[in-house]
Amino acid sequence: MPETLFAKVWARHVIAATDQATLLYIDRHLVHEVTSPQAFDGLRLAGRRVRRPDLTFATVDHNVPTENQLDIRDPLSRRQVEALRANCREFGLRLYDIQSGHQGIVHVIGPELGLTLPGLTIVCGDSHTSTHGAFGALAFGIGTSEVEHVLATQTLWQGVRPKSLGVEVTGRLGPGLEPKDIILAIIRKIGTGGATGHVIEYFGSAIAALSMEGRMTICNMSIEAGARAGLIAPDETTIEYIARNQRPFAPRGAALEAAIQDWSTLRTDDPSAFDRQVTLDAGQLVPQVTWGTNPGMTVDVTGVVPRPEEVPFTNPEDARRALAYMGLAPGTPIGEIPVDVVFIGSCTNGRIEDLRAAARVFQGRKTAPGVRALVVPGSEEVRHQAEAEGLDRIFLDAGAEWRQSGCSMCLAMNPDKLQPAQRCASTSNRNFEGRQGPGGRTHLVSPAMAAAAAVTGHFTDVRQLLG
Amino acid sequence: MQPFGTHKGHLAVLDWTDVNTDLIIPARYLKRIERTGFGPALFADKRYVSGGAPDIDDPSRHGLEDPDFPLNDPALRGATVLVVGRNFGCGSSREHAVWAVMQAGYRAIIAPGRGEGFADIFESNAFQNGLLPIELSPEDWGSIATAGRDHPGRAEVTIDLRDQTVTLHRPDAGSPQEPEPRFAFEVPESHRQRLLKGLDAIAETLLHEGEIHRYEQHAPAWLLPRDETV
Repeated sequence: MPETLFAKVWARHVIAATDQATLLYIDRHLVHEVTSPQAFDGLRLAGRRVRRPDLTFATVDHNVPTENQLDIRDPLSRRQVEALRANCREFGLRLYDIQSGHQGIVHVIGPELGLTLPGLTIVCGDSHTSTHGAFGALAFGIGTSEVEHVLATQTLWQGVRPKSLGVEVTGRLGPGLEPKDIILAIIRKIGTGGATGHVIEYFGSAIAALSMEGRMTICNMSIEAGARAGLIAPDETTIEYIARNQRPFAPRGAALEAAIQDWSTLRTDDPSAFDRQVTLDAGQLVPQVTWGTNPGMTVDVTGVVPRPEEVPFTNPEDARRALAYMGLAPGTPIGEIPVDVVFIGSCTNGRIEDLRAAARVFQGRKTAPGVRALVVPGSEEVRHQAEAEGLDRIFLDAGAEWRQSGCSMCLAMNPDKLQPAQRCASTSNRNFEGRQGPGGRTHLVSPAMAAAAAVTGHFTDVRQLLG
Repeated sequence: MQPFGTHKGHLAVLDWTDVNTDLIIPARYLKRIERTGFGPALFADKRYVSGGAPDIDDPSRHGLEDPDFPLNDPALRGATVLVVGRNFGCGSSREHAVWAVMQAGYRAIIAPGRGEGFADIFESNAFQNGLLPIELSPEDWGSIATAGRDHPGRAEVTIDLRDQTVTLHRPDAGSPQEPEPRFAFEVPESHRQRLLKGLDAIAETLLHEGEIHRYEQHAPAWLLPRDETV
């Protein structure tokens, strides 16, 4: 019987099973300051310890400011960060604090540190944990009660194993097209509930051609299609990433050889094993821009704002509400929509390759009058790398702001927020109403497309700027 | 967690589709380190007249409710069963969304479409807290939603978790002999048992200590994150 990669990783981690529920072992537990305070309180109240401090890693990312990081002005943010510091001290957990050398967005630092490996189960109190699936790991988001459960037992109960959705991406990305465009096109095609109850596996020539960072962008947004998790089978690209840079926790030498042997079985035997399958041709893609209030409301940059009756998967009434919130009229060419703010960063697109893509567009150009552009590296390591390559100078010379690492403007929990009615070209992962600040209008795009909007002042087909 | 056996309560209907967790509880309220106080923050950016959203550190301080927000109909005060549209709770893993719904007084939520009524993480968080997420067929959901919309404040249901049914007590029922519509639902057995008993999941798991320990003994060396740079 052919088996999927997902089924194989699941099966390796089963500790106990009834016909309705399965107890899975968790290999890595990533923790941040927002979804953990109540979990640690629960442990304390019940007199329990953390079962595996050696498998638990914490950082601060959602609340931290991206400038003057040591001075957290907001008292509630400061209180959450301090709560995590105290909890990590009390329970003996490793914390990558501000300016520790490895602080950053939790899903950026995990792979950097060599914690993310093929075949592992990885959880975190954050839905974009699916990012780590790019390595062929089973990685998913959990709520605070489950965070407490993992801290106490290093296991998690799951219901019936989710189904599998195979997404084959054929062809190759053309110039100016990026992995972000692939995942936006997939969500557009299947809808925000299209993969509910499923785990997605991405495969095909376009996927195999991607770097690990490109694969992380795609797996990151699996949740936006309703999927529980997203995986890509490990290959030579995966092994090369893990083996380079002296990552602190990556296996090496004989341990790495043993691991590579183990990982060689981690692939789907045959696409017939998937419960459902969908195909997309990367070669046909045009840069994508979301226009509405969920990531499925997406069109080509060469297209127009749709009429409420023609929005897929959406009642016209809900589509009308989205158009009104976003202040857009049907029929408006996307290329005529002006922007006020541009945000380049997030767990989706805050890595070095994303910054390089943006820098290629910013090089020799300036931000358009009236546009505020914010470039936020996903981690201290990304920031150092970008500065070593001179990317920070390119951003600053263009008139953009160069910040320190954190979740920043992805979600309005730290000082980087939109004002009501401000329109933002953002490389983050959600364009829900109020996501970047009450009344803020978010359009999701790739890093190159965000930079293009910054230098022209409106959404622009970046392929034209790249000559 | 409070056990759930049977519950009789009034309906409140918010039939928007794809209601995401940022709408249910905006991110700024996640700065709270307490598990309580989220009730007034439910739908904080939709529920109050502009500028009236609750304070983060004391959500009981807020402005006037917006009369146009469907759940603010005074007739719906005291409703304990929330009827919602497809893909409710999509987006973030924030369990605070469930806490907000429960602390606003709801004990159960009803959505349309088996396997698609609720987003996966939200559904899981709901079970963890004793908020019963019920997925009905679109037709059955339609009957309940219509009753709730047509008779605000007067439409009631009885939810029975033991036999997994929802009975609609129609306020406009003609004769008393007319049978009340009864709809079947299904929740995973392990969740059903835990809800019926109001059990602590961690204590239940630690009964498997032996198996967890045996599993850990077999971990290959490469699996353990040893810090080689130290």
